[in-house]
Amino acid sequence: MMAIAEAKGASALRNAFGGILGVFILLLIGIFAFSIRLFSVIKYESVIHEFDPYFNYRVTQYLTNNGIYDFWNWFDDRTWYPLGRAIGGTVYPGLTLTAGSMWWLLNSLNIPLSVETVCVFTAPIFSANAAWATYLLTKEVKGTGAGLTAAALLAMVPSYISRSVAGSYDNEAVAIFALILTFYFYVKTLNSGSLFYATLNALSYFYMVCSWGGYTFIINLIPMHVLLCIVTGRYSSRLYIAYAPLVVLGTLLASLVPVVGFNTVMTSEHFSSFLVFVIIHMVALVYYIKGILSPKMFKVAMTLAVTIGLTVCCAVIAIFIASVASSPTKGWSGRSLSLLDPTYASKYIPIIASVSEHQPPTWPLYFVDINVLAFLVPAGIIACFSPLSDASSFMILYLAISAYFSGVMVRLMLVLAPAACVMSGIALSEAFDVFTRSIKFQAGDINSESSIAQNDVSNVDSNATTDKSETVSKEPSRKNHEKEKEQEIVKKVTSKSQNGKKLLVLPQEVSAVVILLLIALGGFYVGHCVWTTATAYSAPAIVLKSYTPDGLRVFDDFREAYAWLQHNTDVDDKVASWWDYGYQITAMANRTVIVDNNTWNNTHIATVGAAVSSPEKAAWEIFNSLDVKYVLVVFGGLVGYPSDDIDKFIWMVRIAGGVFPHIREQDYLRDGRYHIDAHATPTMLNCLMYKLSYYRFVETEAEGFDKVRRTEIGNKKFELTHFEEAFTTEHWMVRIYKLKLPKNRIQGKLKNKSSSETYSSNQTRARNTRRNPWQ
Amino acid sequence: MDPRNPLLLLFLAIPALISLSFATSPSADDLVAELETLRAQSPSGVIHLDDRAVSRFLTSTPVPRPYSLIIFFDASQLRSKPDLHLTQLRSEFALVSSSFTDHHASSPAASLRVFFCDIEFQESQASFSLFGVTALPHVRYVGPHHHSPRDSESMDQSGFSRLAESMAEFVEAKTKLPVGPIVRPPPISPRQIAFLAVALLISAPFLIKRILEGDTMLHDRRFWMALAVFVYFFSVAGTMHNIIRKMPMFLQDRNDPDRLIFFYQGSGMQLGAEGFAVGFLYTIVGLIVAFATHVLVRLRNTTAQRGVMLVVMLVAFWAVKKVIHLDNWKTGYSVHAFWPTSWR
Repeated sequence: MMAIAEAKGASALRNAFGGILGVFILLLIGIFAFSIRLFSVIKYESVIHEFDPYFNYRVTQYLTNNGIYDFWNWFDDRTWYPLGRAIGGTVYPGLTLTAGSMWWLLNSLNIPLSVETVCVFTAPIFSANAAWATYLLTKEVKGTGAGLTAAALLAMVPSYISRSVAGSYDNEAVAIFALILTFYFYVKTLNSGSLFYATLNALSYFYMVCSWGGYTFIINLIPMHVLLCIVTGRYSSRLYIAYAPLVVLGTLLASLVPVVGFNTVMTSEHFSSFLVFVIIHMVALVYYIKGILSPKMFKVAMTLAVTIGLTVCCAVIAIFIASVASSPTKGWSGRSLSLLDPTYASKYIPIIASVSEHQPPTWPLYFVDINVLAFLVPAGIIACFSPLSDASSFMILYLAISAYFSGVMVRLMLVLAPAACVMSGIALSEAFDVFTRSIKFQAGDINSESSIAQNDVSNVDSNATTDKSETVSKEPSRKNHEKEKEQEIVKKVTSKSQNGKKLLVLPQEVSAVVILLLIALGGFYVGHCVWTTATAYSAPAIVLKSYTPDGLRVFDDFREAYAWLQHNTDVDDKVASWWDYGYQITAMANRTVIVDNNTWNNTHIATVGAAVSSPEKAAWEIFNSLDVKYVLVVFGGLVGYPSDDIDKFIWMVRIAGGVFPHIREQDYLRDGRYHIDAHATPTMLNCLMYKLSYYRFVETEAEGFDKVRRTEIGNKKFELTHFEEAFTTEHWMVRIYKLKLPKNRIQGKLKNKSSSETYSSNQTRARNTRRNPWQ
Repeated sequence: MDPRNPLLLLFLAIPALISLSFATSPSADDLVAELETLRAQSPSGVIHLDDRAVSRFLTSTPVPRPYSLIIFFDASQLRSKPDLHLTQLRSEFALVSSSFTDHHASSPAASLRVFFCDIEFQESQASFSLFGVTALPHVRYVGPHHHSPRDSESMDQSGFSRLAESMAEFVEAKTKLPVGPIVRPPPISPRQIAFLAVALLISAPFLIKRILEGDTMLHDRRFWMALAVFVYFFSVAGTMHNIIRKMPMFLQDRNDPDRLIFFYQGSGMQLGAEGFAVGFLYTIVGLIVAFATHVLVRLRNTTAQRGVMLVVMLVAFWAVKKVIHLDNWKTGYSVHAFWPTSWR
């Protein structure tokens, strides 16, 4: 008795020690997740990155200045001129509200941080949270060890880092945390059957809906899992508790978010959840009736239920099909459709196909984005199957679905990353478990071995006897999952030591080598993650750096151009540019733009596309009809900045051609290829984009040699008739042109009589034949 | 679908016909009747032309001809090139032809004087130069008033991506005649559908019974395990990329046609075989780890364990090394750690 008590005390001490160590490790993981994302601040500066974050930053500024009510009612007239955009109803408010309340909290604690600082550091903070959420999720699936490993892996997985470095103030930064948290609560409810966690699940789902359009992934994945459980005969009351409240509360809460609203009940993305909701009720009813009836009676009732169920099902499906068939895209948004039919987007929606993050990835991308996790995931899948529980089957489903989706769109690699981390965490932890066990229980000295084994055995025996009934019955209702996990392992150990006096072990020296190899693999992962973060994912895209033999060169042309716009143009002037730069212009220059990165109106974007692909005069007319004063183009030919407007031009033509039939892609291609050199077509050489990009280019030191396309341009010397150069930045990366004013009508006529100046004659003709380009 | 086989006989018939009618220049009605016969003999209504037929029906007839021709230019040696889609376009052309014929089956003969034809490059090179066709795919319309084949109007290159629909538009625009709905043969015939439905109905009770008993493949976890691992393999191999971009499994070396290129340098693109090879390497390591932790530990024989572990470790090590090497080669980046400057 004394020995058992002593052993119990020792194991309690060990557990307590383990707990503290675990908390300490988690803390370090959090710090690591935060600090690895600071490369961007250290290498560049504390600045908001790229395009979308600038919009989020602007919205957050508005929120902190004007308060929440004005924010909901905000109609933004600085963008999509002349249409404007109702921000409150078209934005996912999760990120903005999170950062806004963080700022408010800090300020009320008398910590005066600027909104920008808070925005810059939101993503790293939430990465740490995501790592902790991963720990919780994996712990629910496979125990503490796997949890810690998975959290450590997630803290530095490059795929997630690419979206959450400091300054990358985008929806995904908080959404991935919300995604993992929702899955954790779902699995927790599944394991515990507690309504408390079911409510938290609905709330975290609500947070996810607030944060990112990717919430549809959750509301399709969870029903799929429920259906899978039902089909494979794993229905239980816990499954019901985990699912039904989520659908009811989750849908109600989701419809509170203005941008989602009635979509929760109107679009096909959500229908699967309702269908499964009906099915789970039917199944629950069947199980209930089975419980109260005798087997014979049950058979009769079953036939009845199946008949009624089938009729109801048919009716529901008929209604479903009728409602879906009435909409042209069958109720699915283009992005979702391109997931189901991967070739859809490239055929029908150039604007979706044009975005680089919607392209299908190749194998090196997996290696860059999840690195060695790609090797470990299959082991994790198999570990999840032995033994298969509700929680582990959910993880398998999550991994399989997200792996498939990531294969369709690079962007969804982000959703795969947490699943890959959890799976690899499980695999690594199982492997370490086996190999360290092999070393531990074969350690040369027999005395120490027996004493350790003894210790474990006694410890196990006491536990096993008390809880035997629970473990044997294999009822997966796990009030205390953790304990049971421990018991399982321990039970394995005892049974083995009792039966065969042989543990499940491998030869000692081989195990040691394998452990070294696994550590090396982990070390490679860390090295890779740090390297990718430092070199690939920390560039803010608004400031560029390049290392030349002469030393470091910094290109700050974008901010130079936006500052020029802010200081030298009227506050109500309209600036036209391709949509990529819309958010930055509104946020940094505070000028009205025609189109921006929120690509909600394809026709409007096509109009700008048509303008830049038309000859100067037609372009002037289109721009003038939109009240545009300045046109901004991005040009990389002088310094070799590859993603400039000429590079994107083929998409502008394609998008414009989709709406305006007179713009034909064929006219811009020679032999199916896109040229700007001597082989370029006349249409190409005369279009506005060519002229604005290469105007006076021959006067530079490059003398008409485009460094990006690596060729001499086709038409070097030309004059602009309807536009004048207003500003060109230091490295020519941004060029701003002003629309020339239309000549005075009478003066123009007189001039036309007296002189044959090209510009005025053009202008007069333009006026004579002038028509509204909208007609 | 391919109308060429029954046409073999026809090749023999055409010269005979020509030689028969050579004595006297054939009248317009004769030519139309001849074309109609030829059309009736082809299952999809596409007439196969060769150099002699071209001269007979196009170059040696007085203008205006009482008929117009829509000609598809084909080359059997280029059919193996996947990016030209010649085989697919040819069958789409046959679809347009048969749809047109079906649509006008009951209408007066005048509207039927539009004939769909194809020409093969190897046997009719002279006609290709006559038309001035240098690039494929190519579709031409020769109207009644076109003097020489060079005057005829060609279909826009960009239209080919939309297959039969754009060809039908082209025909409608040139001939001013409606083509009618394009009838595609369903992927499975009605008889097959009926058969499947009956099979499903018969098997339904058994299936339901087995599902209720929990005794199907769906209840076998090994099935799900294999499926999950396969889906993973499918994705990391970049198969979706190959499907969407229609990438070939391998390329032929331009400098040395006997050599095949399996690996493409540059991270934006990959070849089919390359993806599967690396996907296999990705997957095999995980399977090895799982094998060691779940199967090998149950083995009793320590020597066997040792031997298998050694092999398995070598394979896994090689696979990881190979992928790292391939990735560095393909992307041109090499990962390195950051050491403190004082350490160097």
